[in-house]
Amino acid sequence: MASAAAAKIAEVRETTRVERIGAHSHIRGLGLDDCLEARPVSQGMVGQLSARRAVGIVLQMVREGRIAGRAVLLAGQPGTGKTAIATALAAALGSDTPFTSMAGSEIYSLEMSKTEALTQAIRKSIGVRIREETEIIEGEVVEVQIERPATGMGTKVGKLILKTTDMETVYDLGGKMIESVLKEKVQSGDVIFIDKATGKITRIGRSFARARDYDATGAQTRFVQCPEGELQKRKEVVHTVTLHEIDVINSRTHGFLALFSGDTGEIKPEIRDQINGKVAEWREEGKAEIVPGVLFIDEVHMLDIECFSFLNRALENEMAPIVIMATNRGITKIRGTTYKSPHGIPLDLLDRTIIVPTSPYEENELKEILSIRCEEEDCQMSDNALTVLTRISKETSLRYGMQLIMTSSLIARKRKAHEVDVEDIKRAYQLFFDEGRSVQFLKEYQQEFMFHELDDDMRMELS
Amino acid sequence: MTDWFTKLKNAKKSCLVDNNLKKIHYEFNDGKELVEEYDLSTNCLTKRAWRCNKQLKEEATWDIEVGDPEPQYNAEDKCMIREDSSQPFITRRITKINLEWRIRNLPYPIEVYSVNVDQESFFLIVRTTNKKYYKKISVPDLERLSIPLEQENVTFSHRFNTLIITYKKPKKLIDFEKALFEEIKQIQPKNYGEGINGCNPS
Repeated sequence: MASAAAAKIAEVRETTRVERIGAHSHIRGLGLDDCLEARPVSQGMVGQLSARRAVGIVLQMVREGRIAGRAVLLAGQPGTGKTAIATALAAALGSDTPFTSMAGSEIYSLEMSKTEALTQAIRKSIGVRIREETEIIEGEVVEVQIERPATGMGTKVGKLILKTTDMETVYDLGGKMIESVLKEKVQSGDVIFIDKATGKITRIGRSFARARDYDATGAQTRFVQCPEGELQKRKEVVHTVTLHEIDVINSRTHGFLALFSGDTGEIKPEIRDQINGKVAEWREEGKAEIVPGVLFIDEVHMLDIECFSFLNRALENEMAPIVIMATNRGITKIRGTTYKSPHGIPLDLLDRTIIVPTSPYEENELKEILSIRCEEEDCQMSDNALTVLTRISKETSLRYGMQLIMTSSLIARKRKAHEVDVEDIKRAYQLFFDEGRSVQFLKEYQQEFMFHELDDDMRMELS
Repeated sequence: MTDWFTKLKNAKKSCLVDNNLKKIHYEFNDGKELVEEYDLSTNCLTKRAWRCNKQLKEEATWDIEVGDPEPQYNAEDKCMIREDSSQPFITRRITKINLEWRIRNLPYPIEVYSVNVDQESFFLIVRTTNKKYYKKISVPDLERLSIPLEQENVTFSHRFNTLIITYKKPKKLIDFEKALFEEIKQIQPKNYGEGINGCNPS
C-alpha cells in the first residue's frame, strides 16, 4: 500500500535533470595562482605545468582583449590533457567571455559550406556587451499555481501571484516560463526578479516576512525586504551577446516563413557587413563594447586545406578571436592534399601559431587524476586498488584506466562492497579489453574472423 | 514658443486622411518617429504612438502613448509572462478640456483610492489603501512643455469597475494644442475622401 502510494508520488513529481558526469566535468579552472604559476594539483587539473602556464598567459591576453587573431596550437599525444586544458581555459574565462568549442569535423555538413561554418564559429566567439533598457518584474511571490490537464497531455497552465508592499498582481505564465519556474523551484515567500523579454528568473532571496516559516534554512539563504512601489520597472541592464546571435536575429525570415525555419542555415554576407557597421557605430557612440573571446577547434587536423587558408585570412581581421587548436597528430598528410606537414597543418598557418606542447603524465600524476575522477564519479577505492589502476593506466592508457573506475565500482557494488578493491579492478580488467590486448587478440585469432584475407595495399589504406 | 513645438514644426511630416481620421507621421532629426491621429469631427487627438527601435532586433513595435493598445496576434505563443486578463490595465485618452486615464478591472470602492501629484517628476501616483494596486502614471504632454502638475486639477471617479482619472488641461497646454492643430491643418494629405491609399476595394 505504502509503496504503491510512493510510486504514485514519484510519477507525479517533476523530474529535475541531474547533471551527468562527462569526461572533463571535474575541471573548474586552470589551477594557477596569482602570478600565473601553475599549482601541481588544483581545480581538477594535475601536472602539465608548463602547458598550463603557457595557457595562463594566453588567458591574460584574452582578458586584456587588445590583441586580435592569434592562434595557439596545443600539440601532444592522445590522452595528455589537451581538451582538458581548453575546458579549463573556458572555465577560467567565466561566462561573460564567449568561448566556442568545436571539433574539426563539425564543419562538414550538407546544409552549410565549410567556410560558412567556420565564419559562424568565429562570430560566435566575439561578444558585444550592450547596455539595454529592459522591463523587469520584481516582487515577492505570493503563490505559484501550475496545473497540468487531467489527461496528462497538453499544455500546462501556470499563474504566478507577485506583490510589493504597495500592490499585488496575477501573471499568466507561458510554457517556457513554467519550465523555468519549476527549474528554479520558485516558491511563495521568495523575492525574485524576472526579465520580461527573455523570461530569465533571478532569485534575490527570501522575504523577511517569511523568516519564521522554517526552523532550519540553508546557509545561502538571504533574507531581503519585500520590494516597494510598482511591480514592473524599467531597468538598464548590461548583457553580452555574440555577433552570431545578432546575425541570426537579423537574418531570420519574417512572417509566415519564420514558422518553418527554426534555425538559419547560411547567413548572407550583406547582413554581416551591415551588422559589423552597426556594431562599429555603437562602439563609437559608447553604447557597446567588444568582448573578444576564444574559439577552440579540437582535432584540427580534420580541417582541410581550404579551411586552413580561410583561417589564415580570417585571423588577419581585427575582429578575429583568439583561436586555440588541438591536435594529436605528428607529421601527416594535410587533408585535401597529398602534401605532408607537421600536425597536418600547412606551414604558413603553423608559422602564425604559437605551439604549446603537452607531455605524457608521470605515474604520480596519473594517480592524482584517477583519484580525482574517483571522487567525481562518486566511487570509493582502496589505496591498493588505486595503485593497481595507476599501473594499468601507465601500461595501457589513462582513458582506459578511467573507464575501469565506473565498471569496477559496479562490480564492487554487485558484491555489496562499499569500496572498490584490487579484485574488482582485476575482474574489470579481464572483462574489458584495452586497445593493446584487443590487437593482440586479433593477431592471434585472425584466421577465424571474416574478411581477414585483405591484401596488403588494402590493409595499408585502412591503417 | 517651446522647444517641443519647434521640434514638431521642424520634423518631416506626412499626412493621410482615412474616413474621419487624420493621421500624421513625424520624422525627427534624431531618427525618432511619431504618429498622431486626429478625429476631424471633434479635432481631438485619438492616438499617439512612438516608434521604439530595439537596438538589436529589427522588429518595429509601437509604443502607444494615447489611445487603445494594438491588438496582439498569436500572443499565446510569444508570451513568456504577462498580466492576467482579469488584472487592472490602463488606457489614456484626451478630450477637449481634459487628459483622461481609465484603469479598468479595479473592483474596489472609491474610498480606497488616492491620486497624488508628484511635483518634480511629472508623475501622478495612484495608491490603494488595501495595497492591491499602485501605479506611477507619467504625463508626457505636460512634461514636454514643462508645465508643472497641480493637485487641484486632478479629479477621479469610479464606475463599472473602472477608475477614471481626469486632469484638467492647463491653459498653456490648450494654447499649444491649438497652435499645433493650425500647423497640422496646413499639411496637405496625400488623398482625401477615398479609401485608404486612394484604392477602391471592390
